[in-house]
Amino acid sequence: MVSPALLVAVPLGLAFALPLLRLAWREVDRYVPPVGMAFNLVVSLSLLPVVLKNPVVVWIGGNFPPPFCINLVAGPVGVLLSAVIALVGLLVAIYAIGYIREGDTGRYHTLYLLLLTGATGAVLTGDIFNLFVFFEILCISSYALVAYLGDRNGVEAAVKYLVQGSVGTGMVLVGIALLYGQFGTLNMADIAGRVNSVSPASVFVPLVLLVAGFGVEAAIFPLNAWLPDAHSSAPSSISAILSGIAIKVGVYAMARVIFTMFGASELFPSLMVVGLLTLFVGEMSAFAQGDIKRMLAYSSIGQIGLIAFALGLGTLHGLSGGMFQVVSHALSKSLLFLAVGYMIYRTGSMEISSLEGMGRRMPLTSLAFVVGAFSLVGFPPFVGFPSKFMIVKAAVENGGLSTVLVAVALVGTVIEGAYFLKVVQVMYFKGGRELKREEAPATALVPIFVLVLMVLVLGVYPRPMVEVLDSAASELLDRLKYVQWVMR
Amino acid sequence: MSFVYQNIYYIGSIGLILIGLYVVLVKRNLIKVIIGLSFLDTGINLLLISVGYVRHGTAPIFSRPGLSPGQMVDPVPQALVLTAIVIGVAVLALALSLAVRLYEHYGTLDLRKIRGLRW
Repeated sequence: MVSPALLVAVPLGLAFALPLLRLAWREVDRYVPPVGMAFNLVVSLSLLPVVLKNPVVVWIGGNFPPPFCINLVAGPVGVLLSAVIALVGLLVAIYAIGYIREGDTGRYHTLYLLLLTGATGAVLTGDIFNLFVFFEILCISSYALVAYLGDRNGVEAAVKYLVQGSVGTGMVLVGIALLYGQFGTLNMADIAGRVNSVSPASVFVPLVLLVAGFGVEAAIFPLNAWLPDAHSSAPSSISAILSGIAIKVGVYAMARVIFTMFGASELFPSLMVVGLLTLFVGEMSAFAQGDIKRMLAYSSIGQIGLIAFALGLGTLHGLSGGMFQVVSHALSKSLLFLAVGYMIYRTGSMEISSLEGMGRRMPLTSLAFVVGAFSLVGFPPFVGFPSKFMIVKAAVENGGLSTVLVAVALVGTVIEGAYFLKVVQVMYFKGGRELKREEAPATALVPIFVLVLMVLVLGVYPRPMVEVLDSAASELLDRLKYVQWVMR
Repeated sequence: MSFVYQNIYYIGSIGLILIGLYVVLVKRNLIKVIIGLSFLDTGINLLLISVGYVRHGTAPIFSRPGLSPGQMVDPVPQALVLTAIVIGVAVLALALSLAVRLYEHYGTLDLRKIRGLRW
């Protein structure tokens, strides 16, 4: 069996080896990230059946047992998310081979690998300070990538993102300092085992600081001002990664803190309400946008709201629905950004009205866009349907208030349907007929259609996925088992 | 007064964090905002150090005979602070280089005048 530590070590090593490899052959940079991510995907998928039976805990730093070492916990949640990160990372890296032409491409690919290293490390680590460090690697490389093109909007968005992001991670570090002062340990399992031994009031401040700090990256409602600018001003391949991966890592960190570390069931109702607010703010703003990438960015905020709502249900089914939504949004939203990337490249404008006639001009890309849009809205044969269905089912099972709230959440989905159908209508039913075909190149079409295939397959046959999700949800919920795995 | 005396490190570092937050939230000049971020980082680092500090403690090395572990400061927060300082330097360097780029585009660092994107 391959050690999960390689999932972090290989992309990190490749990121720093890349400038050296470029000395030998200048064009090598664009082929390194696909190799690294393909390796991660294979390792994650081979680990998945193993960890479903028995999670793997790796000790790093001396051979001391936890809590004295830094450990990686490759449980169902970590390996599932690292597989999703590797899959989306691989496809976007293949897309970037042809898409990223401007600027110092070596820098782009190095930062890209670092971003994915940070994301993979953050979902696998079992140490709260390590989580912070990986999170910072993810954040710093995404600030730099948003400003990659160095244009007016990109730099401005990156500055906003940087200021808000570093205040957020600063709050996380204060929370970690307070926790360390109280428990004298940084191991998440160790903290989880000791939280119940102190009064709830004394862990309230670190809990709030951690949730708020990770909430900035997850773009939970009052903390999401950076997201529409950053996601719409970045190059499209980076938008796909930021929307598909980066904000999900924030959500994962929040879930890990709330469920595993603190078991804070008092927070669930407020999480549901904040999730609903995020959903509505995101969907309403998306509806009002005339800029396609800003619309997709706001729609990401809406989807994060839905995920937060599902997590707030606090039941096994709610959590697995939320995790399914994480996966389905990662696939569909990166599909949408990748498809839109070449449409913007061809028309030179981000206005929705400039997409007129796209259905004839770029038929395959437009078809992929439609699949992604329908999947996000939740139309049946696509992956968005089972994920949303699971959330609704879990909420109705819960009964009481959550039934009412999920009904409200479904109104948000209707708004989502309205603006996505508007775009589809512009693409197919408007514009002249005399346009010639100028399809996206093969390096873009292959990843786009792999994503289309994934969206379809998981939508038609979600069963194996649901089994993985159920054990992932029980890892998050069952704190005792998590502590026993790690501490043994 | 004894409360203040005993917790002077916590009060000082949290004060520094709050000053940093104030500067980030209120100042309109990007360089000042970045200085605020630097205050915030420094305050957090001091907070981490003071969490592990033992009054009159020495470095956690058995450098002379008769030194008991109770007289030593906790080394873990110091290791954390080293990491946090490195991260802070990276963020500040990136922020300043972005500020240079922003000045090239807009000719100003006043955040009220930089609004190419809708806030």
